[in-house]
This record gives sequence, structure tokens and C-alpha cells, in this order.
Amino acid sequence: MTARVTASGAPYEVQGEVSDKDRLNHAMRTFLKEFGAQASIQMESCVRCGMCANACHFYITMQDPKYTPIYKLRPFEQAYSRHFGPFAPLFRLFGIAPSVTIQELEEWQRFLYDSCNMCGRCTLACPMGIDIAELVKEARHGMYAAGLVPDRLELMDRTTKKWGSPATPPEDFADIVNEAAEKYGVKINVDLPKADILVTVAPAELTEHTKALADIAKILNRMGVSWTYSSGGFEASNIGFINGDVELQEKMTRKIIDRAIEIGAHTLLLPECGHAYGAARWESARWYGKQPPISILHMMEFLAESINSGAISVKPIGSTASFHDPCQVVRRGGLKEQPRDVLRALGFEIKELADHGPLAFCCGGGGGVVSCARADPLRNRAFEIKRRQVEDAGAEHFVTGCGQCRITLTMGAKHAKWDKKTESLLELVADNLEGE
Amino acid sequence: MDLLEVARGPALQVSLAIFVFGVTWRLLGLLLLPWRTDHSEPRGTAPSAIVAVLQANLRKMWPHKTFVRATVFQFVNGYVFHVGLAIVVFLFAPHILFIKSLFGVTWPALPSNLVYAVGAITLFSLIAGLLHRLTSPVLQLISRADDYISWLVTLLPVATGLLAIIQVGARYETLLALHILSICLFFIWFPFGKLMHAFTFFLSRGATGVRLKHRGAQI
Amino acid sequence: MAETRTLGEFLVERGVSRRAFLKYSSYLATLMALPPSAAEAMAEGLAKARRQAVIWLSFQECTGCTESLTRAFSPTLEDLIFNFISLDYHHTLMAVSGEAAENARLQSMAENKGKYIVMADGSVPMKDGGVYSTIAGRTNLETLHETAKDAFAVISVGTCAAFGGLPHADPNPTGAVAIQDIVKDKPVINIPGCPPIPDVMTGTVAHILSFGKLPELDDLKRPKAFFGETIHDRCYRRPFYQRGLFAKSFDDEGARKGWCLYEVGCKGPVTYNACATLKWNGGVSFPIQSGHGCLGCSEPDFWDKGGFYRPLPTPLASVREHVTEAAAAGAVLGGAAAWLARSQQNAYKSETKKPEEA
Repeated sequence: MTARVTASGAPYEVQGEVSDKDRLNHAMRTFLKEFGAQASIQMESCVRCGMCANACHFYITMQDPKYTPIYKLRPFEQAYSRHFGPFAPLFRLFGIAPSVTIQELEEWQRFLYDSCNMCGRCTLACPMGIDIAELVKEARHGMYAAGLVPDRLELMDRTTKKWGSPATPPEDFADIVNEAAEKYGVKINVDLPKADILVTVAPAELTEHTKALADIAKILNRMGVSWTYSSGGFEASNIGFINGDVELQEKMTRKIIDRAIEIGAHTLLLPECGHAYGAARWESARWYGKQPPISILHMMEFLAESINSGAISVKPIGSTASFHDPCQVVRRGGLKEQPRDVLRALGFEIKELADHGPLAFCCGGGGGVVSCARADPLRNRAFEIKRRQVEDAGAEHFVTGCGQCRITLTMGAKHAKWDKKTESLLELVADNLEGE
Repeated sequence: MDLLEVARGPALQVSLAIFVFGVTWRLLGLLLLPWRTDHSEPRGTAPSAIVAVLQANLRKMWPHKTFVRATVFQFVNGYVFHVGLAIVVFLFAPHILFIKSLFGVTWPALPSNLVYAVGAITLFSLIAGLLHRLTSPVLQLISRADDYISWLVTLLPVATGLLAIIQVGARYETLLALHILSICLFFIWFPFGKLMHAFTFFLSRGATGVRLKHRGAQI
Repeated sequence: MAETRTLGEFLVERGVSRRAFLKYSSYLATLMALPPSAAEAMAEGLAKARRQAVIWLSFQECTGCTESLTRAFSPTLEDLIFNFISLDYHHTLMAVSGEAAENARLQSMAENKGKYIVMADGSVPMKDGGVYSTIAGRTNLETLHETAKDAFAVISVGTCAAFGGLPHADPNPTGAVAIQDIVKDKPVINIPGCPPIPDVMTGTVAHILSFGKLPELDDLKRPKAFFGETIHDRCYRRPFYQRGLFAKSFDDEGARKGWCLYEVGCKGPVTYNACATLKWNGGVSFPIQSGHGCLGCSEPDFWDKGGFYRPLPTPLASVREHVTEAAAAGAVLGGAAAWLARSQQNAYKSETKKPEEA
């Protein structure tokens, strides 16, 4: 693992003692392995209109053409054209589509990891409907296979392979939960052999945001439902989904779903986390070949359903609130109304950000960007957009439904010396339950 | 054989054959690849794929409000060009005759003078498009030879068509021959460059539309 | 017979006043788009002109050109001028025939060496030694070579002579060629048309008589004065073309309203002739005015341009023919490409090692 610099001065990190030739080979093979008709048609469809640039917060704040979303895919589009497209044999014969070089992949690490959150805003801007975010995710598969991911994402990967979680080994999980139970005075079920609902966590909830463990416990206890955490399957965030390690992605997804089925649960409850939703709700069927026999809910979804059905009720706080829409859950996940239902139940007058719902700007931390210190300057610049929009909306409270967004926004505020607090939807509900 | 005979004869035959050959190759080469099915449970009732595809295509015809200001040139000029070209190609009497000779269908034409005006506007929008590509840092980074070639083979029919009707530069039959030859060039290049977006845009938009609709989101 | 009078004296004898003669010269000059000053020059030139020997050779022709030329509704000055010409040899118009006729030709050639004009109508067959058209037992080719040798100029009258015309049309069984394909060492003027307009023929000859040299010619050797513009550019139905009002078939509403005939095959836009201005039968009408599209008869190979009723913006040859093969070939290659990609992908997939157990 060493930090290096390309000939043009671009920083990159590389893992493993593998020859450049092999790295390149692995990248190309892994990238092309899952390519299908839809991705291919989209790879062929770019007309170089440049409209995607105007959707990306990195381009908007930095005004550097290199952050143009479709540009981030260049080496992989080249690989596609040379090896997979309908004219690929022709191109190779006449030497038209150049081979991808290892130098290119090294150059491109920062475009695929530092300046892309896979937020999908560019997908909504592209007139050809190219799902650039999804293609970046697929490109990362190749980068991981080449050992060309940012070091931090590789560290988290190795930790997760060892512990099953980037935060803690399974044997310490119950301890963390019990500590939280004691600290917040809430009964928290852990490792029950049978339960209807398996609750999972994101790493932040085992470190900075342990109150969340108690918050959901409080709500579930109030509802009187059968639920539990489990040391045999607790990690909902999916580093494989983020960094491109497809094997790990499968492993992590199977772990929590298999565990849930094992304990007889009908519902898998995901924490306030973005990528967890994408990995479990939408991509788990890839591994099982069909929808696994379990209902998979995001925390925001669960809260909204519980409030709407009357299973729980909350006290109105009154006041005003703006909501930050986590990309993977709203724009890419379809849960636009649910957090707003909850906010309205809490008596908030919602002051929407200028870009909200499916068109909201990303917090800037998704896709592993917040984990890479190298990307901090970029992330802090991108944060200026969020700050401006929150200030313009002028609401008292600023709420979100994803722990990583919360961390990113908090870090951004700190760097900008801005005193706005970013709050958790789950915490607001737990702290304002009726009958307290 | 004079130039006009060559243009109307073997040139059209060969170029249209190449067009059909290339488009079939490229389209089938894509459509016969494995289609990825989303086995996850959809949000709500499973939307019919056809409806999702059509909806996506409809929604993509207009940019989201938040993008309009920053992309107003591509948006407006894009439409001026495409609509202008469609009017010229499909609503000009001699062109309708050409299509009739190939497909047997016909429809009423617009007054020719009106089409000339639209043709001129289309020409200007093409030039504006090129100027934009040459002066935008984003486009200068991502553009490739294909963009310029496709631009040229699209410009030539419009330009030679206008030259033919104002009869400037050469005798009419020469201008007409050049116009037809420029169309032949267009057809020959079509399957191999970005002009294929005319065929792929529908499925490209559709694929993302299906994916997002499945999740209860929208394109 | 040698004529010693000038044309001017000849006309005076026939009762044509000087004023009438000047008027006619102005008319001719205007017709040929010559400047006003040319009228006087023409008048003077014509007045002084000596009788011009003309040898008319008829090859593979239908005699339509002669018919057109000799259409006379009333005696005109053109007729008089033409009478002034010494038409020393013409199959249809001359009194004698047989050997006497051939001798008349040879005698004129000898007496007017270097000064006589050859006017030829009809194409010349070349196949099988040229046997498909012979006169007096000699092939047209031989006759043409022999007669053109000492001529001042050669005028090809009608599309057959100018470009090969009907005999030259596909499949051209007689190997017919144009006069200009054979005569390479003499000035050639082409006056195409099937047939040409009478005024065009006489006007060209009048120009030569007046100025002693050939009129300005285009790149197909046609007098620019008469072939410098297309029918389309002078057609009275042009406004309908501009507005997009077309007859879709003969005798439909558009046809009866006199709309443009582009869609029923008019070749006006690519045909250079004077029909739309001079018209026919003394200016009575021309094909478009009578409701039929221009055939393009003054252009080379007009018989083989896909058909008189095939509109200009359509392909000449069948496009459909090769489309099925092209599609099939494309399908094969597309399928092969997809198959290659799929196999490649399957190979990559089977290469993947099984993930180690956690």
C-alpha cells in the first residue's frame, strides 16, 4: 500500500504485489464480466453534450472539466469499445479503439473515487438517460480487482473481511449494544434466537452515534413487537458495494439476510444508512436469483409506516425543518415521501431546500468519499452548495435519515465554521414519542 | 454517367445497403447481449416495462427545472436543430417523394418556401452547436473525432440542400447531385458513429427508467 | 448554283423593307441575349452575307428535327433566310435522289471547300462495322468522315446527333454514338432537343451568318443563348413549386389547377432549353403548359434517367434489391459479435476463484 503520483501529478494508491500487466488484466476482465445489454446500450449512447457536468456538485463548485461525470468512465468506455461492443473485433483489427493502459487506470482512481459519490444526479440530467452513477459503480469493480482503490477503502475492506464489519468484531458487538442500553436506560434485545424483526446497524452507530441503538430499541419496545439485534448478522453498511469488491458485497448481504431468515424474521430493518439500502433492498436478489423471502425496510420507511399506521405516535415539536435527502435512499431508492410524513407528524413546517427530493444535492460524502482524507478539499468545496441551500431555506432544524450524511454534513459544517447542527430523523422520533 | 446519375443510382444503392448492414450489425450486436433482470421485489405494483420505458422517454424530453438554466444552450439548440431537421426531412415535398419511392407511404408537405426558412435556421443551429463544442471546456475535454465527423456529415446535406435551392456555386444538377451524395455519405457514416443515438436513445432512456421505476423513483 | 447576291439584296428583292429587316435583327439579337448594339451589327452582317452552303447529313434519325425546322405557319423571315441558305444536300427536302444526290453533295464540298457547314441529324452506329445505317451503300461513319473533312463547322441537330439520343438508349443495340464522338478536329455545335425548337436552329445559323463565327457555347457545346437556363428557372408554374403545390397525378385537382408537375416526373430543373420562353408552334405552348412534365429531351441520355414519370428526388435504381442481403449480413455479424462478447464474459466468469470462507 503506497501513495503514489502519476506522471501528470495525479495522486493514487495501489494495493497488492501484482505486476502492472496483471492489474490491467484483472481490471478489464472484472469490468466486462457483468456487462449486459442495458449497460452496453448506454455505453454506446453518449453524444458528448456535456449536460451531465452541470448536475455534478464537484464540477459546479470546481469548474474543472475533468469532473464531468461521463469523463469519469473513459477508460472503461474504452475497454467496452475495444472488447465488448458490436464493432469490437473491427476496432481491434484496425487499431481504432486504443488499449487501456495501467497509467490511465492510475490517473482515473481519483475521478472514480475522490470526485464521485455515485449519487446519480448526473443520471437525471443526461438526455440519453445514461445511468452514469451505476456505471461508475461497475467501473469500481474493475478498479478493485486491479488493486487500485484508495487505501482507506481497502483497509475497511480487509477489516470487514476479518470482522464481518469495519467497526467491530462480532464478539464485541453485544458488549457495545449492552453499554448503550445501560447508558440510555433502554432495554435492547441482542442475540435472541427467534424474532420477527432483525435490526441491523451502520458502523457509526457502533462508534459515534450509539444513541441510535437505543432509539430504535425504544420505538420497537413501545410497539411491543418481537425484535432483536444479532451478533451473527448486524452489519448493514456494505463496503463491497462501495469500493467495488463484489465478492465481499455478496458476502455481507448474505450474512444479514441469511441470519434474519435463520431466526424466523419477516422483516430486516436497515439503519439510517444510504448504501445499506441499495445493497440489501435492490441488489440482494442478484445473489439469490430472486427476491429473498423477507421484507427489507429502511429506517425512514419503517418510521413512516409505523406512524402512518398508528403503531406509534409522536408529539408535535412545531417549528420549521429542512430535510437532506440521502441519495441512495431517495433519488436511487424511491423513499421521497416517507421522511416528510415523519416530519409532518412531528409538527414541522417543512422548508424545502432549493434542490430537494430526487433532485437534492448529495452531501458530498457518499460512495466512500468521506472516508478518504485525500478528497477532503473537494468535499469541503462541494459542501458550500448544501450550506447555501440550508441557509436560504432558513429553517430551524436540519434533519436527515442517513448516518454517513450526518457525519459528512457535520464535518463540513465544522470545516466551514458553521454552527448548524444536522439531526437524525430516528432520534427526533425516539425523543418525541407520545406518552413520555 | 453524369454525377447526378451516379448519385441517384449506384451511390444511393450502395450507401443505403451499407446503412442497413451497419445498423443491423450494431443493433443486434447490442440487443443480443444478455439482458439483466432485476429480481428484487418492486416498490408497489410491478410497473409494466413498456409503460416505464415510454414514461422515461417522455420525461427525458424536458430537463428538470433545476438543470434548465445551466444547460439551456444544449436544450434549446438541441431542439431547434432536431425539430428543424425533422421538418426539412419529413415535410419537404421532394423528400416525401423520396421516402414514398422507398416505403410507399406519403403525406402532405409544407409550403416549400417555409421549409427553406426552417432549413436556414437548422443550418445556423448546427453552426451554433459546433461553436459551442469548440468553446466549452467540458466539451473540449470529452469530444472526439466522431463528434466532428458526425457534425460534418449532418451539416453537408443541410448546406448542399440550401445551396441547391438558392442555386449558388454550381449548376442545379451538380448541386442536386452533391446534395444526394452528401446524404449517401451520411448513411454510410451513420451506423459507425454517434448518429446511432437515433436508435439507441429510446432503450437507453428506457433502461434507466425501468430501473428507477422499479424502485418507486423516477428518471 | 452559285449565288452572287448578298442576303440584303435578296431580301430587298423579296419586298422586305430595311425597317422590317432591322426590326428582325433586333429580335434575333434580343433572343440571343446579345447587347442592343449587336442588333445593328447583326443587321449589317446579315445584309452583307453571301449565300452559305449547307450540307445536311441524316443518319439514325426519325426526321423529326427536319419536321420541326420546316414547321411554318406563315412565311417568316426565318424561312427566307433559310431559303437564302444553299441547302445543297438534304434527303427529305432536295429534289434529286440517288447518284445525282450524292454528286450534288460532292460538288458542293469541292466548290465550298473550307466554307460549308455540315448539319447532321441522327446518331452514327458503330457496331459491326457500322452496317446498321448506310446511305448509298456506305456507312454513316464513312460519310461523316468524308463530309466533315473540309467543313467550316459541324452542327449536330437534335439529341440523337448531339448525344446519341434514342438509338443510344439502353441497350444501344447498334452501338450508336454522337457526332461529337467522331468529329474531333472541327468546331462542333450541339443543338439538342427531341426535336429542337425551330427558332433555336435558325437563330444559331443566323448568328453564324451574321458574325462569321460560332455563338458562345456551354460545356456540352450548346449555344448558351438558347441552352443557358433551365426550364425550371423560366417556367411559369415556378411559384407553385416554391409554395409546394403539386399535381399528384394527371387530371387530379392540382393538375387541373395548373400546379407544378414535379411530382409526376417533370425534369425541368435539370433540363437546359428555351421551351419555357420561346415555346413551340410559334409560341403557342410547351409541354408543361399543356399539362405534361418536361422529358428533359435536350439532355444526354434522357431516355435512361429512370423514366419520364419518375420524379427527380427518387433513386434511379432499385434500392430494395440489396437491402435484404445487407440486413442479413448485418444480422450475422451482429449475432457473431454478441456471441463473442458473451463467450468472453462466460470465460471471465468461470475464471473467478471461489471466495474463501470467512
